[in-house]
Amino acid sequence: MLVPLSYTLRSLFVRRSATLLTVLGIGATVAVLAGVLALRAGFTSLFVQNGRDDVAVFLRQGATSEGESGITRETCDRLIKTLPQIAKSGGPEGAPLAAMECYLAVRRNKADGSGETNVPIRGVQAASLAIRGDSFRFTEGRALQFGADEVVVGRKLVDRIENCRLGDVVQLNTTPFRVVGIFECDGPFESEIWGDFERMLVALQRPVANRVVAKLNPEIVGDEYDAFAAMLADGSTYQDLKVKVFTERAYLESMTGALATTLLALSIGLSVIMGLAATFTATNTMLSAVASRTHEIGILLSLGFRPFPIFLSFLFEALVLGLIGGAVGCLLALPINGIETGTTNFATFTEVAFAFRVTLPVLGGAITFALALGLLGGAVPAWRAARLAPTEALRRR
Amino acid sequence: MSSFRLVRRYLGKHKVRSGLTIASLVVALFLLCMLRSLVVALDAGVRGAKRDRLVVQSAVSLFVDLPQSYQAKIAAVEGVQTLCKWQWFGGRYGDEDAFFAQFAVDMDQLNDLYPEVSLVEGSWADVAADRRGCLVGRSLAKQFDWKVGQTVPLLATIFPAPDGGAWEFTVRAIYEPTSSAVDGNTMFFHWNYFEETVKASFGEAPGTGTYFLRTAPDADQVAIAASVEQLFENGPQRVSCSTEAEFQAQFVSMVGNVPFFVSAIGGGVLIAIVLACINTMLMAFREQLHDAGILKAVGFTDGSVAGMMLTQSLLLCGIGGFGGIALAKLSEPGLRAALGSMFPGYEVTSETLLLATGLTLAIGLVAGVMPALRARALRVVEALRSVE
Repeated sequence: MLVPLSYTLRSLFVRRSATLLTVLGIGATVAVLAGVLALRAGFTSLFVQNGRDDVAVFLRQGATSEGESGITRETCDRLIKTLPQIAKSGGPEGAPLAAMECYLAVRRNKADGSGETNVPIRGVQAASLAIRGDSFRFTEGRALQFGADEVVVGRKLVDRIENCRLGDVVQLNTTPFRVVGIFECDGPFESEIWGDFERMLVALQRPVANRVVAKLNPEIVGDEYDAFAAMLADGSTYQDLKVKVFTERAYLESMTGALATTLLALSIGLSVIMGLAATFTATNTMLSAVASRTHEIGILLSLGFRPFPIFLSFLFEALVLGLIGGAVGCLLALPINGIETGTTNFATFTEVAFAFRVTLPVLGGAITFALALGLLGGAVPAWRAARLAPTEALRRR
Repeated sequence: MSSFRLVRRYLGKHKVRSGLTIASLVVALFLLCMLRSLVVALDAGVRGAKRDRLVVQSAVSLFVDLPQSYQAKIAAVEGVQTLCKWQWFGGRYGDEDAFFAQFAVDMDQLNDLYPEVSLVEGSWADVAADRRGCLVGRSLAKQFDWKVGQTVPLLATIFPAPDGGAWEFTVRAIYEPTSSAVDGNTMFFHWNYFEETVKASFGEAPGTGTYFLRTAPDADQVAIAASVEQLFENGPQRVSCSTEAEFQAQFVSMVGNVPFFVSAIGGGVLIAIVLACINTMLMAFREQLHDAGILKAVGFTDGSVAGMMLTQSLLLCGIGGFGGIALAKLSEPGLRAALGSMFPGYEVTSETLLLATGLTLAIGLVAGVMPALRARALRVVEALRSVE
């Protein structure tokens, strides 16, 4: 026979000050964990969800990011013209859907005056925009005109970085570039400044492209893609190219790896350490619950309740404490959903702006964590309660 | 029996509860100290910066190299005493692609520029005598178990070797930084070896990432910086010349809102631990209600009964808090090694210790004040009527 649930729930209410303090303590712990997980969710989803499998990124062999990579223009040209895997615009006779891009993290002041940061600036070609298709939209101003000293700025930079509003001038080395448009584009590009590839190379005094992006033919997926990548890697077919190919999704994933891992390690470390403290608090609360109800436990035992249902009853009480605490923690964490923030991604050494995302997995993780805290905190006190001798327990008042 | 002994007895009566509360406090204060030290570590380079060191870098980007032809022009500026080329190498080491900072530098200038680089093994002459010789920080050598004379192969990400294989360096000396201006997880190697190998790979000499310079003792740094910037106003690459502190601050501001997040996490930890301590003290108060009535009945004043309650809280939090602070300080060398090149300046400063001590006392006061006030207002008859 189980101890009625109402008995458990009422006892939480009777001891409301202890219940409240414990719940708030667990809530604070859970909120911190949920916050870090939401940060990570926002960061990784920005990169990974928007990476495409049908877009290829070519880097110099040995380079791990486009900042490190450098490919000569001749190699780029040969690559774009000769690789049959690259899609053509408007049928097999059309121009390849591939573009050379240069990329540089430039020093810019933050708009809030808190110092300097590194903003990615990308020199693009017409095909760069064509590859993006509808996911690239101008929201203010006009489209980029190739051949002119002008740039378009990602929406997320406008309020974060100095001189990124429509009509402002972005100075690059000795050349001024006018901001003529603001764009939206899913993914990390919204934290970038885009200009004409040719004009950028001149202004930055750089001789080479950093990467080539290309739309792949629809059949280059799965095994076909793997064969394509292996062929470029072994270098026997195209000895002089010396490039390595990534799908855009894989490339973006590799750019987030370090920071995402750091954030995950941080959240695990924090939850273990803070969880330890929260478990101790829950244990204290439950121990005192058992102590103050010793007499009642004696009565339950003499009424014929077995020790195991009594153990379950106290464990359930602790779980309810954890659950309420978890709910409070999630409620505390919810308001940060959507708040935009920025930090430097050390894989690229550039600042990315992204929003906290309190997703269902984040909430699920937080609630599970809270229940685990309740379970761990309740186990020992519940065990104690179940092992009380009825006569001893009855004698206590 | 003195009231302090009574307080100790009360804490000892509920060993499990006191123990768990103390353990939570140890964990919480340790975490708070650690989080603050992480934030402090970000500023390490700025704190160790010297006024007479200036850094010349591209005005455009950290990743734009300056021509080597700039060297002679900068050296000619009046007041410049030491000039050292400095290039980020970005190599990876070993099977796990381990990453740490490596710089190609003018080795003969390095010690003049940074007297803080103090050798603990090998000598400057040993490094100078070996073209592939390198100088590594002690904690780096410890991490990878490198000995003087050992060959260290690095796979280049930016500057591929001519044969596509690894670059090879030989450890000729190990240093220990004497101030936070220098990171103890860095490898320095000869500019000449770097330049010759890059020439063999690319057919042209590499540029310089930054020029570090040290000015004459009585020089006007602002004027020197201005004239260096003036030199290259019209290109080909514009430069900015800043003090070492400004240069380092650039990297601090890059981390953006991280210090704020860390503070928010610390706030969460603090709230949780304060609530836990209040909870414990309220439990203690309920149990000691009857005793408090007896004490008052036998003549203890309201004030001394309240004082005992507060002392209990302070003692409990004091033991736990100082435990956590001690743990943070004791774990400092281990954590510094573990955090390695991510937080090279990890240090539990005396300011952190002081702050944590203040927090500990504050937690003790906050947790003790409510039970103390209730104990003071307690009426003897009511207290005696209550049961444990």
